[in-house]
Amino acid sequence: MSQGHHITSIKTLSIVIGALVILTGLTVFTSRFDLGVFTVPLALAIATTKAALVVTIFMALRWDNKINAAIFGIGILFVIVFISFVLFDTAFRGDLPNTTKGTIMEMEASEAEMQSREPDASTRQFNRTPE
Amino acid sequence: MDNASTDRPAHLKHYFVSSDQQFDAAKMGMWLFLVTEILLFSGMFVAYTVFRVWYPEVFAHSAELLDWKLGGLNTIVLLASSFTVALGIHYAQKDNQKGLVLNLILTFVFACTFLVVKYFEYTSKFEHGVFPGAAFDPHGVSHGVDYALYNIPFAAQFFSIYFVMTGIHGFHVLVGMGLFIWITRKAIRGDFSSEYYTPVENCGLYWHLVDIIWIFLFPLLYLI
Repeated sequence: MSQGHHITSIKTLSIVIGALVILTGLTVFTSRFDLGVFTVPLALAIATTKAALVVTIFMALRWDNKINAAIFGIGILFVIVFISFVLFDTAFRGDLPNTTKGTIMEMEASEAEMQSREPDASTRQFNRTPE
Repeated sequence: MDNASTDRPAHLKHYFVSSDQQFDAAKMGMWLFLVTEILLFSGMFVAYTVFRVWYPEVFAHSAELLDWKLGGLNTIVLLASSFTVALGIHYAQKDNQKGLVLNLILTFVFACTFLVVKYFEYTSKFEHGVFPGAAFDPHGVSHGVDYALYNIPFAAQFFSIYFVMTGIHGFHVLVGMGLFIWITRKAIRGDFSSEYYTPVENCGLYWHLVDIIWIFLFPLLYLI
């Protein structure tokens, strides 16, 4: 091509495939151990590193027209929005045990009603000492 | 202007000014398509995330039933195929037709290998009643694994997600194989050169994306 596209050297491509294979081995190796809460983040971190290598070198986004990087970046942004906004709902369901069937105004009305039926404050103690 | 138009190469469409403009437009279109592909798969990754957050121990237990050795082998196979595609583009840019054709054929062979391994994985699951959806009924013993132990609540959700995600990914591999037959024939015919290799470039981008999806599927489904 007249402008001259970036040609990635065979050496660079070989280093990347080597790194990808090593990272695959690493993710298998680390999955052998019980890392508790770090299990998922570590596996995702290794997978993201591998994906980043493929995108930047194999797909040559690093040397490509910046508009393509912008398109890809916006796509990834929407994936993050998609996953995190769904989790705002699903991950916190059942965290509100004190929810009620009525509206706030109905609740306030019934509370005032209970309050008005309340007998003398001094009689409210259960374990009064005998006089 | 009239003189210039007679010099136009055969691959250059009349509505583009130059080969570079045509190449950039095609490549940008490909990236836009890849974003729609990413969003297609992200819907399934969301389903995976939601169920994993709800039932982490079920997912960790069910993943043990998947053979990480076969999954790992397929990971290496797909990574190798990504490497050969990248090499193919490298040779196309250097006008090395032999190198291009050889690497495109290698990529096709790796894609076949991937699907053959996937076939053996699926059939070994089907034999023991590990199906997606309502048909999920694991039973029997093989290689010291008692499948009935995996018949626990919400294991069916894990395996449904597994079959749908790997199934749609496998379909993309199949489409990729069709694309590679097409461009390999064109490459053998000598259609590509450093002046024009847009279909190789864009099929390569598609293939790398299929590889990236698998890079995430392998640890999430087989390992953790």
